[in-house]
Amino acid sequence: MNRTCYDNAEMPKLVVPNSVTIQNARAFLASNRPFVGRGKTATLKLHPKWAHLDPMALSMIAAWGAWCRRNGFTVKVQNLGRHARYAARMKLFDHLGVNYDAQIAAREEAGRFLPVTQVTNRSELTGVIGDISALLHMDSDPDGLAAVQYCVSELIRNVLEHSGSVDGAFVCAHRYTKKKPHRVTIAVADCGQGVAEHLGRAHPEALADDVIALGLAMRPGVTGAIPGLYGTTDNAGAGLFITRSIAKGTGGYFLLYSGGAGYRLRRTNSPDKQIVLYLDALDEPRRDVWRFPQTWQGTVVVVEIRTDRIADFQGFFQWIRKQMPTRLQVTRRINFT
Amino acid sequence: MITKIRLAAGVAGFAEDKDYARTLRQEKILPALERGDSVTLDFTQVKYATQSFVHALIGEALKKHGESVLDRIEFKNCTPQLQSVIELVVDYSLGGFPEHSVSAQKAG
Repeated sequence: MNRTCYDNAEMPKLVVPNSVTIQNARAFLASNRPFVGRGKTATLKLHPKWAHLDPMALSMIAAWGAWCRRNGFTVKVQNLGRHARYAARMKLFDHLGVNYDAQIAAREEAGRFLPVTQVTNRSELTGVIGDISALLHMDSDPDGLAAVQYCVSELIRNVLEHSGSVDGAFVCAHRYTKKKPHRVTIAVADCGQGVAEHLGRAHPEALADDVIALGLAMRPGVTGAIPGLYGTTDNAGAGLFITRSIAKGTGGYFLLYSGGAGYRLRRTNSPDKQIVLYLDALDEPRRDVWRFPQTWQGTVVVVEIRTDRIADFQGFFQWIRKQMPTRLQVTRRINFT
Repeated sequence: MITKIRLAAGVAGFAEDKDYARTLRQEKILPALERGDSVTLDFTQVKYATQSFVHALIGEALKKHGESVLDRIEFKNCTPQLQSVIELVVDYSLGGFPEHSVSAQKAG
């Protein structure tokens, strides 16, 4: 059962039910007000018996923990036990400043994951990109690896360049190979200014409605810098559009959560449902759009890449080109030699 | 005159460093094109690149000089993966993204 409850928050509090994944994200996102409260202590309340957390939950909790600590709160974890071992292996508690019993955490397992990692600058991003291949054991799948590196790079750069997040980005990834569908789930969370505020400078309509802001952020050519058809010299405003396309093209999940709104593109096993790419994410038939009474102060993006469906990475961009009509026809040949 | 630029490999052949791309653009590509030179971008060491990297590298040149600049830029030793990213960037840089409208109704 995936239910949570919370008291009237006298302190910042994040209540984690027995399972938080991109599949059941809505209940978790709807039932917490993690940025509300006073005092000196912030509480992460785990389920007493079970803690099934995917990269989305882990990256969000880590970002929230950094926000709490930066604002003078000490993070306490309730129900910390052996069932939190996976979260410990993913280095979650390191980011919260919480000690986890080393004896419990010691059991070594063959993992295919990128533990929760804080990235505050471009140099650290380069390190993460370089480590992914070994951590996810993707040496023998170069196109799958390229897709993962691509999404990690674009999502973290979004945070570093646009979020204004003092704590940078918290990234986490897991490669699932035991059960089908084989996939890599990547999550990047921050507690920066959020999508609406970033886009609002150039697109005031984003400030009026968080759902509209999310829709704009996922459209190609929309940036927070200057409104225009071509983006700016350094930003085209296509990063989220392409990462969403990679998720859709492989039939994986995509989630964007910021302010009081969430957007999720659901997984599909039907190739027919992957073919059409909607420029406006709000047109996608397999979408969920959520409004929440409380807000996430920042942005969370989750991309699921079905690695069993990446035949060739090149094909994605050809497909995206076909799906994205331009306003003018380019007639000259590109000089490839 | 031809200005030849051999791009660095990035992380094991994955090029994503926009700052590096911006530096190349500002210090080598744009000045060469301003002089009327041609530019050869040699991607021998790069297998994959992000759209953001390619945009930071050539987007401004395309916007500034228009479609005809394609006659003066040579993309050398590109993998098929790279070619497809470059084609995408050229398409939207010259052709523009489709116009968008915001619909409050769609937002629900």
